[in-house]
This record gives sequence, C-alpha cells and structure tokens, in this order.
Amino acid sequence: MAAVVSLQNVVKSYTRGRQRVEVLHSLNLEVQSGEFLGLMGPSGSGKTTLLNLIGGLDKPDEGQITVAGERLDRLSGSQMAAWRARHVGFVFQFYNLLPVLSAERNVEVPLLLTKLSRAQRKTNVAAALALVGLSDRATHKPTELSGGQQQRVAIARALIADPTLLVCDEPTGDLDRESAEEILQLLTILNQKQGKTIVMVTHDPRAAAYASRLLHMDKGTLARDESRTAA
Amino acid sequence: MKYLPLVWAALRRKPTRTLLTCFSIVTAFFLFGTLQGINVGIDNVLKLTSVSHLIVQSRVNQGAAMPLAHKVQIESIPGVTAVAPFGIVIGTYQQPSNPMVIIGTDFDAMLKISTDLMVTPDQAAAMRRTRNGVIVGVTTMKQYGWKVGDRIPLRGIAPKADGSNDWQFDIVGTYTLQQPDWATRIFANYDFVNEALATGKNQSILFYVGINDPAKSAAIAQAIDDRFANSPNQTNTANEKDSIETTLGQIGDRKLLINGVCIAVLFTLLFLTFNTIAQSVRERTAELAVLKTLGFTDASVQWLVLAEALTLAMVAGALGVALASRVLPWLTSGPTLAAQGIGAQHIPGLVYAAAAAVALVLALISGVIPAWRARQLNIVAALSGR
Repeated sequence: MAAVVSLQNVVKSYTRGRQRVEVLHSLNLEVQSGEFLGLMGPSGSGKTTLLNLIGGLDKPDEGQITVAGERLDRLSGSQMAAWRARHVGFVFQFYNLLPVLSAERNVEVPLLLTKLSRAQRKTNVAAALALVGLSDRATHKPTELSGGQQQRVAIARALIADPTLLVCDEPTGDLDRESAEEILQLLTILNQKQGKTIVMVTHDPRAAAYASRLLHMDKGTLARDESRTAA
Repeated sequence: MKYLPLVWAALRRKPTRTLLTCFSIVTAFFLFGTLQGINVGIDNVLKLTSVSHLIVQSRVNQGAAMPLAHKVQIESIPGVTAVAPFGIVIGTYQQPSNPMVIIGTDFDAMLKISTDLMVTPDQAAAMRRTRNGVIVGVTTMKQYGWKVGDRIPLRGIAPKADGSNDWQFDIVGTYTLQQPDWATRIFANYDFVNEALATGKNQSILFYVGINDPAKSAAIAQAIDDRFANSPNQTNTANEKDSIETTLGQIGDRKLLINGVCIAVLFTLLFLTFNTIAQSVRERTAELAVLKTLGFTDASVQWLVLAEALTLAMVAGALGVALASRVLPWLTSGPTLAAQGIGAQHIPGLVYAAAAAVALVLALISGVIPAWRARQLNIVAALSGR
C-alpha cells in the first residue's frame, strides 16, 4: 500500500499571549491508503493540531507534509484551498452545517467550486444523500434534523467531491450512543467498501475500536502505534 | 450565479434584521429618487418657461384678483402684442374628492402669446363659436378618458349668478405642447365664465401678456407696473421664468437643501448597512471558516461578503427608486399644478443612473471592511472559537 499521508520531522507551535508553545515535536508519521486511523490522547496532546496539518488547514513551522502526493508545506493559501477541495472531506464534532440551507444545499456547497452543471450537481447530491440514508430528508434544514442525521449530512458533504482522505474531528462527540454507532458504522463502510482513507480524532474508546490502526499521542509526540482488527 | 444561494442564505440568516435594513435602504432611495426627481423636474420647468411673455399679478398677494379693466391699459403699453385674462372656476368633477380648475380666458389671445400651444385651426374656430366650449390639454383628456364632443359637468364650489352650482362645458378641442405631459390645463371662454359668476365678476387673477421683443421684457414689465403704481390694484410683472425663479427663491437654495437632505440620509444609511454586514460576518465566523475548509479561497469568501452588501444595497435601492418613480408623478399631478400648466414629473434617466452609482458605492464602502475581515479569517482559530 502507498502512503497517502507522510509527515517528516514536523514541528508546530502556537503563540499564547507572549508564550510560544510547541504543540508537535519533530513528528514522523505515515498513513497508508485505505487505512482507518484513530488518533487518541489527552487534551492538549496535539491530536487536533495534527489533524489540521493533515487536512491542510494549517502549516507546519518545520518539516515536510505530503498528502495525496502534494507537499502541503510548500503550497500558498489559495493553492491549499484548491487542494482541500479536491482531496479532503471534513467531518466536525458539531457538524458545522450552514443553518439556513437545506440538507441537499449543504451537501452541494463543495460542488459549487467545481465545473459541474446544476443537473450534475443535483444527481451527485442525491447519490451522496442516498449513501448516508437521508434521501427522504433532502429538503430539511439542519434544525429539522436530529444530531445523527446532521452528522450524516456532514458526511455526505465530506464525500460529495470524492476526496482521497476523510478527516474527522470527534465525529461522535456530540451524539448519543445509538447515533454514534450509526455514524461509526457508516465510516467503516466508507473505509472498507469504498476504500476511503480516514483519519479520526476521538476521545471515545468505543469509537476508537472501529479504527484499523490507533495512534496514542502524548505531549506532541506519538506515544504508541497499534495496528488492530477493526470492530 | 451558482453562489447566489450562499449569498441569499446569508441574507436570510436573520430575516428581521435584513428586512429592517432593506426597509431603511428602500426609504432612503425613495427619498433620493423623489427629491432628485423634483430637483430635476423644477430645472425642466425653468427650461420650458418662457421669457417671451409676461405674467402680471397683484402686488398685494399672488392670486388676488385684479380688475379686468387693467387689460385695456396693459394693451396700450408699447411693445405689448396681446393680453389674456385668467378667470377661474373651481369645482369638483363627478366626486367631491376630485377637484378641477377651469381657466376662463381669451383663447385667441393665448394662442398669440403662448406660441408653444398647439391647436388645430378648426378647433380654435370651434372655441370661438361655442360659448361654453373648452380646449383641454391632451394629458387631462387621457387622464379622464374624454374625447372631443364630450360634455363636462362641474359642481362649482361657489354658486353662480343663477343660484345653481352646476356648470356644463363642451369639449371642442385639445391642445398639446412640446412636452405633452404638461398639457394639463382646461381653457374656457372668459366671457362665458364671467357672465355666470355670482361674485368676482370682471376680475382676473393674472394677465398673460405677449410682447414683441423678449430683450425688452424687463422694461415692458416695469412700464406695466408703473402704469398701476398709483392705483389701488398695483401689479407685479415679470417674465414667466423670473416669476417662477423668484417664487422658488423664497424657500431658499433649493438644490443645496435637496442635496443636503440626500447626503445626510445616505450617510446615515452607510453606517446602518455597514453595521448589518459587519454584524452578519461576526455571527458567521464559524460558517465562513467552514466554507474556507471546504475549499473556498480567501478571495472568494471576501467576494461572497461583498456580494451580500451589493445584493442588499442594489435590490433595496432599486425598490426604493421604483417606488419613487410611481409616487412622484402622483405627487406632482394635482389640480393646482395642472392648472398652472405643470404636468406630472417623472424621474429622469440621470437620477436612475445616479441611484445605481450611489447604491454601488454604498455597498462597496459598507462591505469592504467586513469582507476584508472575512478574507483574513484564520480557519483553525475560527473553528476553535478563538
């Protein structure tokens, strides 16, 4: 398997007030194509920072990041935006749907950046909503959907542009157990049936159990790397 | 166009706030359109008014009656070619709420004085033959759906000599002007009106005076006023243009006033629109960060915010000016103005273009800072609520 994500000696720090805090210390990591990687660790261990770097939302202070064949640390802001649109789908803890738009309009948003016609966009949106089991909720607004349904809309939005990588930040953190199970099963199907590479940050050991590989982070370093059989 | 749903969604996010801002912009542009329309309209009135004939009014009070005997004396002044008296019948047509003014005059003299009055010779002859005949402006004919041969019943506000209030006028012809919208007067025969009146007989509220040389209008006007200087009915004479300018001058510098009001309103609107867009961007920090996460560039997010400001200002501005374009003709088509030969005012193309430019500038100024903030938004900081 080829590495979809490759980090070499990545250093990242933030400035808090007058203090400079190094969050990631010379980190090395490879994620293979088709992996379902779980990232665990205590708060402040650098999980979300690592996820942001892999997803192209932030740049490292030092080191190299290659994702889907592109050196992200060399891209400009607009190049990075175009790269994200092509290669990464994001799923957030609090769904981050646009509240005034219907489910189908929310899913359509990433396609507005493509050259697809309106009819093609509509067809793709319908397929994505069918994939997450929400065809009958297409015209509903986020406030008219349950948390689990909103997260499924967010997953459909993340999938709509057929990205190389799905980046999920606590995707079940705001859901009840039943909805969380549904979302995790959906992610597993996407990983196993469609071969999507998934990187997921979670605090929940039950969610982590769905990952095929689990990385434990602590104080900005990789503390433990365990390959496992997914649940 | 494909981004329109996003712009529309942003505006619908707080519908009450958007509606209130929209309402403010509509009101401001309604005022802008109406006031500038009036401004340009007055300029047009002045352009169309003539220096080639004089208007003689009472020195005591504009609109106060003068004796008809003045006519003969004015005609005797060198340089005067014709004099037409104005006797007025005020009444209502069909409904009490529909006032109408009929001007009793010497129509042949009017034709000599106002060379822009266009009437066919047949109809001018019919006016001479028909004592209760009237020549009606084409705009008024159209307004009431009248045609030549129709009879106009009028309920006068003052009783006639025979004790009744009912007048009957037969339409014998129509007149038009270079600007047909302003052909709004109804001319009757002075003698017919004068004989029927119970009070105010042999009087005129003004005299239209034709002169042979416009360059001598000031001297002739002075000669007329001098003629009546020792009379109990002194006169105030000026050419039509000067007369209107003097009247308008009494309310101050019209253009300065109107432009001042427009600037004050638009300046206030600038802050209001800026506040709406800025607040909207502040509230949508996370949403804008999500758009950037999904692949929208900094520049495209900036343009989305600017498009919001543009949509708001242009749509509401267009509504305001459209409303003004409906209301202004209605405001300026009353019977008093019609009797003065001033027809409905319409917003000229220049004001539409100015309104579009003002809306554009308003949107750009009020949207540029919020748009810049949206452009500078850091995704990671915004998503983590920092």
